[in-house]
Amino acid sequence: MKEPYNVLLPGMNLADLTGKLIVIEGTDGVGRSTQINLLKPWLEQQGRAVLDTGMTRSELAGKGIKQAKEGHTLGRITLSLFYATDFTDRLEHQIIPALRAGFVVLTDRYIYSLMARALVRGIDPVWIRNVYNFALKPDAIFYLRIGVDDLIPRVVFARGFDYWESGMDLHPSEDMYESFRKYQTSLLAQFDVLAEEYGFEVIDASGDTRTVFETLRSGISRVLSGEAREPIFSVPRAKSADEEAERVQVNENPDAKESRGAEKEDLENKDGKPAVHAFAKAAEGADNR
Amino acid sequence: MKRYGEHRFPGKLFIVEGIDGSGKSTQLMLLHQWLQAEGYGTVFSEWNSSPLVRDTTKRGKKKHMLTPSTFSLIHATDFADRMEHNIIPLLKAGAVVLCDRYIFTAFARDVARGMDSKWVRELYSFAVKPTVAFYFRVPLEVAMKRLHDGRNGFKFYEAGMDLGLTEDADESFRLFQSRIIEEYEKIVPEFEVTAVDATLPIEEQQTQMRQIVKAKLAQAKRLRVAP
Repeated sequence: MKEPYNVLLPGMNLADLTGKLIVIEGTDGVGRSTQINLLKPWLEQQGRAVLDTGMTRSELAGKGIKQAKEGHTLGRITLSLFYATDFTDRLEHQIIPALRAGFVVLTDRYIYSLMARALVRGIDPVWIRNVYNFALKPDAIFYLRIGVDDLIPRVVFARGFDYWESGMDLHPSEDMYESFRKYQTSLLAQFDVLAEEYGFEVIDASGDTRTVFETLRSGISRVLSGEAREPIFSVPRAKSADEEAERVQVNENPDAKESRGAEKEDLENKDGKPAVHAFAKAAEGADNR
Repeated sequence: MKRYGEHRFPGKLFIVEGIDGSGKSTQLMLLHQWLQAEGYGTVFSEWNSSPLVRDTTKRGKKKHMLTPSTFSLIHATDFADRMEHNIIPLLKAGAVVLCDRYIFTAFARDVARGMDSKWVRELYSFAVKPTVAFYFRVPLEVAMKRLHDGRNGFKFYEAGMDLGLTEDADESFRLFQSRIIEEYEKIVPEFEVTAVDATLPIEEQQTQMRQIVKAKLAQAKRLRVAP
């Protein structure tokens, strides 16, 4: 049974949505579309119908956003709302009809990327959460997580710097490398906060495509077979700006990285029980009322 | 990001609200004439006029692609663009800004279309609070008579035809606008909106409006001394 985070849109009937909504989240250049291009044929081979969708692909607003972004004159609130319009059009005209028809909906980013981008730009956190609180809760959110140092060669060597991916609207005086670094670092920090709040399943995306694909595949198989999520993937604790700076430095030291990996496993296996998520707890509380 | 509240800009913001046929645009036009004659730097900002968003809105309306939620969001996008690039800079510069329709239009229309009223209010919380907001209160029958005399037929979204209340455009307009009036009546006390009796003679309404505006213009910049 599908449900929205908070508010039900008018005329939205969620009773007969038999499909599965699977979100692939992650920052720019982390390999989301590569994975979706592998996942789609894999699912189709099993006889599952797949709808893949992603940002700016709405019939209503996709073109308008692209045109407006070319001018680089969009205000941050305007940009957020334009994306919200695009998202909502796709939700109502692509995602929900596909779920009703029993499709697996693979979405390249969801509301979380849009929130992260807005938050980095100083948008009020309460406001942006309200904007999207009619969004459907996905059946699973896989977050491809990567550190900024692993990200840089992937993005920069593959396609060069992009104005928006480098947050040049935020740091116009910096060179693109510095700006990219700063912008992506704060974006990743926002993702970590959202990961905790919305219960992302975190996948280490610094590995090769095959490994990430296999992890995703087993996660999705589990969702499709209707099994409960367990054990929960560990979600990194939200970091303060200082800690974040430290993390970036630590990241440059391979030894430190390993020890962090060990710590991560510890968290997962403590008492042999999955870590219960704050979000899940909140949901339980709501059910009891 | 500032939330809805009194602004500290040197400019002034006067806005008019009301259903179609309430005469609000006429009143705003007359106010504009007077302000200019008095020597105030006065700028109009119209609802639904952002060049960045206009094409998308037009397409959505023409092809009947808009649902209550995308109707709401595309108008909010348009409004945000005007707020960020037009209204706020003008207020900073000390202009008198006049808006034909403001956030209350969205509150009334979107909620009449079934959107959650708290959600819509929060959506527009980035808006600057007007110096004075006027609501032109008029019975639906009076407004409809004025509209019928002036033009023929209602547009699809204007008449709320997207809600599928009835096939008849006139009847749909009537039902939709009466829902909007209900919402406006909730907004007036909630946001300290100044209600004007829009059945009074035009000159009388304008006199009231000018008195109220004049009292708020103390520090606004004049371009030149009035003759």
